[in-house]
Amino acid sequence: MDAPGLKALAVKNNYPPGDLAIWIFILAELLVFAAFFAAYAFTRAHHVELFNTYQRTLDTNAAMINTLALITSSYFVMRAVAAIREDRVKLCVRWTVAAILMGVLFIAIKSGEYAHHYANGVNLRTNTFYMFYLSLTFFHYMHVLMGMIILGAVAIKANNGSYSAREHTGVETGASYWHMVDIVWLVLFPLVYIMR
Amino acid sequence: MKYKSQAVAKPYFIAAIGLFFGQILFGVVLGLQYVVGDFLFPEIPFNVARMVHTNLLIVWLLFGFMGSAYYLVPEESETELHSPGLALLMFWVFLVAGALTVLGYLLVPYATLAEMTGNGLLPTMGREFLEQPTITKLGIVVVALAFLFNIGMTILKGRKTVVSLVLLIGLVGLAVFFLFSFYNPDNLVKDKYYWWWVVHLWVEGVWELILGSILAFVLIKTTGVDREVIEKWLYVIIAMSLITGIIGTGHHYYWIGAPEYWQWWGSIFSAMEPIPFFMMTVFAFNMVNRRRRNHPNQAAVLWALGTAVMAFLGAGVWGFMHTLAPINYYTHGTQITAAHGHMAFYGAYVMIVITMISYAMPMLRGRNAANSGKSQVVEMWSFWLMTVSMVFITLFLTAAGVLQTYIQRYTDDPQPFMVVQDKIEIFYWMREIAGVVFLIGLILYAMSFFVGGAEPEEA
Amino acid sequence: MNSTDDTEYRYPIRPCTLVYVVLMALTVTTWLLGKTDMTGLNIALPVLAFALFKGLLIGDYYMGLKGVRGLWRWVIIIWLAVPGSMITWAFINAS
Repeated sequence: MDAPGLKALAVKNNYPPGDLAIWIFILAELLVFAAFFAAYAFTRAHHVELFNTYQRTLDTNAAMINTLALITSSYFVMRAVAAIREDRVKLCVRWTVAAILMGVLFIAIKSGEYAHHYANGVNLRTNTFYMFYLSLTFFHYMHVLMGMIILGAVAIKANNGSYSAREHTGVETGASYWHMVDIVWLVLFPLVYIMR
Repeated sequence: MKYKSQAVAKPYFIAAIGLFFGQILFGVVLGLQYVVGDFLFPEIPFNVARMVHTNLLIVWLLFGFMGSAYYLVPEESETELHSPGLALLMFWVFLVAGALTVLGYLLVPYATLAEMTGNGLLPTMGREFLEQPTITKLGIVVVALAFLFNIGMTILKGRKTVVSLVLLIGLVGLAVFFLFSFYNPDNLVKDKYYWWWVVHLWVEGVWELILGSILAFVLIKTTGVDREVIEKWLYVIIAMSLITGIIGTGHHYYWIGAPEYWQWWGSIFSAMEPIPFFMMTVFAFNMVNRRRRNHPNQAAVLWALGTAVMAFLGAGVWGFMHTLAPINYYTHGTQITAAHGHMAFYGAYVMIVITMISYAMPMLRGRNAANSGKSQVVEMWSFWLMTVSMVFITLFLTAAGVLQTYIQRYTDDPQPFMVVQDKIEIFYWMREIAGVVFLIGLILYAMSFFVGGAEPEEA
Repeated sequence: MNSTDDTEYRYPIRPCTLVYVVLMALTVTTWLLGKTDMTGLNIALPVLAFALFKGLLIGDYYMGLKGVRGLWRWVIIIWLAVPGSMITWAFINAS
């Protein structure tokens, strides 16, 4: 991993990339999800059978595809940031749009899962496992939507020529938020779908 | 004072302090009635005194918010207020309506008041904090609409700043959520569910926007720190308030018959409600540390910093203490609630209104920027007396509440309510003494406007 | 992976492409483990470990935190470590 290009990364900054305000948001969001994850794990410890039983009704294949979609979208977003750092505006727009499309895929698949559950009469009050599953994934789902809106704004602004190699804080800001959305799902997927 | 029309704030501020005084008088009465049960009975029974105490609080804070808006919006928008005449007219309408309502509470049995005011046509009376007759509530709506119109038109025709826009959103939210006081479902669960759409979404929602914007305004003026820096902080703070506070409403839905998932959602989100208050504290101290000037009105700066700290303690810390469902199961409706309620209201909303009055009143009375040194010293004394006595009120009620929770609910052999009340009486006496000190502090605050007037302004 | 004409401004795409491949591989592995009969800590702990490692990669390389000084670098690490520990503890005590 010791490619020479990595040295560009190793320029030590005091602050993470993007607007500091978004990082305050990111911290807050991470805190909420962390609390939810911990609550899930501790509640499960008191209802192991229930959680194991109903976990099996989840569509793990769909969730895996969703995980791959989000990881891919994060990769695309990273390519977009790389592009704008090289002043390649059109390329930046294309990578950002590609990331949004991966987001659309995620939303579509997740919506399909919800439709399936709803058709089976599953809702927040069905049992404690479903309450956690639906709450956690829905809360994340809303953040994916928010992230897509933010990336959409980045794409539009980039297309209008608002960003350049010298000034592209907005792109980094949007990218940071999107990576947060991804990283949360990377814990959520194994925790809720797989770990038993 | 840059714009002549800012002068309309003055009557609002004077009424605010006057009604605050009335509120505390009744508070001291209530505190005594806790321990001398028939004090002033039957002329002013406990429940009537309580209605007067709580309703006066809300009304004087509303006067304070409106005065603050009338002062800061013309300055932020860099234009005169749209209609000073309308503002003054609404002042009198609100004051008279408020006075008549309070007189109604005091002079007439509540059921008679309901009959006299035609409550039967559109019943809205009988709920805590919303005891006002329907016609009073309608009057409040009219006053609020006129106020929003006035402020809105001013902002529209002038410069739009983050401070004035956040304030406007908060005030619009205040008005919109007040409309839920007209919704009175028969179903008790729904009744309570929507009641909180007024109360929680006010004090743990849109009022935090009002608080943040006024604090930001005072900090901009007194520290000289770059507007952009302060405005960015304000954005982040109010975003955190709304993110935590909206779903955080669920911490009032634990035991009223709402679905069980509220115990999870309410706990997780409301546990984070202290965050914006913590940020406000860091923000306030940071800005003062980075100040570019030493503003002559040091009293106002003291109030501003005090607001941030007390709001964090009262709303944030004390709120957190009983916000998680497993804890709230035992503490719900005990003196813990009273402890939190008093410090939170004082720290956040009483103090921000006083901060604004402290900042603006000298200029409204013809000074350049601040009162004389003598006047400010008296004012700072009032700050410390009121704040420290409020801390003691809170501590005493917390002790009472912890004992009450334990003996009445948690222990293996729970005792009846009145037996427990007897055991915690000592704390009520101590609270009352602290309350009297608070009243003295308030009197000093009022006096600060009348001393040192002839002396030169503090440099 | 070793580019000899890297300028100072060339963003290291290739290492991060490698990170991408690793992330995808770990995800598929997790999914495959889920398809087996394994239960309890045998599956829970490895799967959680993969997840936390993936998170670390995202934080360091995608979020660019590897190049940041001080507390910010540790934000994601703490976020992974603390809930990760709590989850581990809860799962161990559940079985």
